[in-house]
Amino acid sequence: MRELLEFVVERGVDGGASFCEARYFEERANSVSVENGVARALSSGILRGIGVRVIVNGRWGFASTNLLSKEGAKRALRDAVSGAKSITAHVSEEAKVFEAKPSTDTVVHDVKMKPEDISPEEKVKRILEIERDARTFSDRVKDTLVTYRDVITRIIVCNSFRTLVEEVTPRTIISCRVIAKEGDNMQEGYESIGNVAGYELVEGVEPENFSIKAARKAVSLLGANAPPRGMFSVVVDSKVGGLFIHEAIGHNSEGDHVFSGQSIIADKIGQKIASEHVTIIDDPTRQGYGHFIYDHEGTRAKPHIIIKDGVLVGFLHSLESAAKLGGVPEGSARAQSHHHPPIVRMSNTFLAPGDMTAEEIFEDVDYGVYLSGSQYGYVECQKGQFTCKVEEAWLIEKGELTEHLRDVAVSGLTLEALKNISAVGRDLRIGMPGMCGKSGQGMYVDAGAPHFRIDGLVVGGRR
Amino acid sequence: MKSVDLTISAEKAVSILSKLDVDFYDVVASYSRSISISVYGRGIREASSRVDVGLGVRVFKNRSLGVAYTQSLEDDDVEAAVKRAVGYARVAQPDPYFKGMPGPSTAPEVQGLCDKKIIDLTLEEASLIPRSMIDACESVRRGGTYSGGFSAGHSKACLITSTGVHIDVEKTLVSAYIQPVYRDGSDVGSSYEFDYGISLSDIDPYWIGSRAAQKAVEQFGSKKVRGETLPLILLPESSGSIFSSLLSAASGEQAAKGRTFASKLLGKKIAPEDLEIVDDGTIPGAVASSTYDGEGVPRRPVRVVEGGTMLTFLHNSYSAGIMNVESTGHATRGGYGTYVGAGPSNIRVRPGEGTLDEMIHETGRGILVVNASFSPNMVSGEFSTTIDEGFLIENGERKHPVKNLMAGGHILDILRNIDLISKEGRLFGKGHFFPAVRIREVKLSGE
Repeated sequence: MRELLEFVVERGVDGGASFCEARYFEERANSVSVENGVARALSSGILRGIGVRVIVNGRWGFASTNLLSKEGAKRALRDAVSGAKSITAHVSEEAKVFEAKPSTDTVVHDVKMKPEDISPEEKVKRILEIERDARTFSDRVKDTLVTYRDVITRIIVCNSFRTLVEEVTPRTIISCRVIAKEGDNMQEGYESIGNVAGYELVEGVEPENFSIKAARKAVSLLGANAPPRGMFSVVVDSKVGGLFIHEAIGHNSEGDHVFSGQSIIADKIGQKIASEHVTIIDDPTRQGYGHFIYDHEGTRAKPHIIIKDGVLVGFLHSLESAAKLGGVPEGSARAQSHHHPPIVRMSNTFLAPGDMTAEEIFEDVDYGVYLSGSQYGYVECQKGQFTCKVEEAWLIEKGELTEHLRDVAVSGLTLEALKNISAVGRDLRIGMPGMCGKSGQGMYVDAGAPHFRIDGLVVGGRR
Repeated sequence: MKSVDLTISAEKAVSILSKLDVDFYDVVASYSRSISISVYGRGIREASSRVDVGLGVRVFKNRSLGVAYTQSLEDDDVEAAVKRAVGYARVAQPDPYFKGMPGPSTAPEVQGLCDKKIIDLTLEEASLIPRSMIDACESVRRGGTYSGGFSAGHSKACLITSTGVHIDVEKTLVSAYIQPVYRDGSDVGSSYEFDYGISLSDIDPYWIGSRAAQKAVEQFGSKKVRGETLPLILLPESSGSIFSSLLSAASGEQAAKGRTFASKLLGKKIAPEDLEIVDDGTIPGAVASSTYDGEGVPRRPVRVVEGGTMLTFLHNSYSAGIMNVESTGHATRGGYGTYVGAGPSNIRVRPGEGTLDEMIHETGRGILVVNASFSPNMVSGEFSTTIDEGFLIENGERKHPVKNLMAGGHILDILRNIDLISKEGRLFGKGHFFPAVRIREVKLSGE
């Protein structure tokens, strides 16, 4: 495969491309679904193909195929070049990339237990055990679903800077969804664990912290109330905090959003945009679902500090955004598959720990809301307005958790919310594996935070 | 690539499967080619093209399901996929709800789902569409930055099942989208517009661009407002999220197994008398139409809500089997790599009597919602959402845009509280039709 990629790049340069990149993508996945005590379905899939990207006449062209013959690759190159030429006549900004030093490397992430060495029968047996703990937790648990997925991704990047890197990454994720019912009241509990890891992740699952936890949450939410509405001081746990960091500031710091005029912090480098308690880091080198060594442009990954002590100090970069914004690429460009060009993505994004205990953070809240567990979120970068959907919440009254609340969402304006972070705990946790959607691409990411407090977020209540 | 013969690939898999000891199987082989032009920053950024082929196999043995897919139609890869699916079916456990796969049916072909001009569309021709969108934006206000683009796709698929279904489908799809961002000091005006269809003639790029820009400019000067309980008027882009959520919650095994807020609504009055919703996958030239559903069952119009009462769920063969009814022809297949699900096709909400202007005029104080998703928690039906784009209404007139405002409630309360439905609405993809609706009162969280 390397020879084929090198052939494409050489031919692309000979054909007039000022930059040419050929990328092989392969993903082998297996999944098991256990529903209400029945391992109802097992699935297996293989995706693989080549994506070719060029700059010709100062314009980007991209083409992909899963026809892996030399003819298929040549066709993709031809399509990419003709694509770039097809838009040459239109007024646009000139495409350019950072002149990167070449990298040559092969990385294979080791795992303790390779998923392919575990028989499907053994996987089914283990997942049934995990599911049973949720199903038998309470007679109010009426529906359970545990899904397991292992995936091995192999990516080879070859480009005209003479970079040739290969990375093989195994990921394993298991999730549990529980529905509890009482009369017409129906509530859901969810937990997931995922990492760059092998089957040892599943072996290490403790039901008390996973399937039983999801069941307990679903049952407990049956007795929860609708949240109050209005502006409150909120304390967030590691998952809501991670979601907030990801949505509110993470996407705004992506270099492509910055150079295209979509980010609300584009002109704020060196400025204080958050309270002094805030340091935000995106770190692909750290263990987590978003971990990697090389990004999909072949750039070796480094930790990126986005905000330090409240001051915006950096953006996340691809080769393109680094060239356009005068930055240095440190490995933030990834693509969902060969059918997608690399774009700027977060990896493992988190708020750095402070020095307070969670108890101290709650103590100062006279009346507020504690937000726990994240569902999903989104941001309108250009406006700096974000929304985070939360699994469950509690009222905080005089520093104590009181009434249990459900179906809560919060909304805020990024630049206000960051300045309103008034206390940060020391209990950093990163552990919300998931897929982040951007420009039609899904990507493995993780996030986290210590407990922290925001003085003034709109809570979308129903009373 | 036009010479790819999907039937040969699918039959290759069928030939192997027919010799194995399995109870049911289906094979889908597909080919797609798409081209797209992206817009980013000040102008057109990238031209791209994609060719994809793949094959998926589902195998049932003793009511146990094994699935495998491959992004290759080579003999060895097809055979390996079949073996993986069969092997996994033998490890999986019997699903008590599975009753079999549907057999063959015939139905009149739904016309107008493939535009041959799209198959031959060049990137040069395609690039004129985003250019037109940008020009239209600039004609409203210069100096914006943009994201968006245009894409055109052509796909073919072949489905063969052990129960005698053999169907070939071919379709084209075009879509265009642009989001302009204008800045005036620290004030931001931003919005988006889109359209999609089967043919180039289904979309008007200049209309998309100029409407996106007009909406963006109208967002300057947005203000926070206090939280209170007010009427909401939802434009079709937002009302669609309510009706789509309702029909999704009333679809397939999730509805049949009691997992959604709609599971207990059959035969119940859920909305005022004048609410009628039909799901119709047979509309000629509509994006969500097809002659057959994802299992080869003929599509047909289905009255889902009539006189405000929910009449039926939308079924594939699996969920129909759970409820001992016939499939309504709503099986969905996302591609060769996904499970068979169920969901709505073209959702059509019957228009009402009054105009949108009358609706606003009759609202003393309220919020006009241009863009917000009212998709609820599908289990509980409760929602809490940000009004991403909207205006305050005072004394029957549209005032300033709002920001950082949230709405919360239960989707069934929203449906029950529909007190006006407009006679005009918007047709999406030549199939979905959503009018504007007024919700009598919704709890809002703000400053």
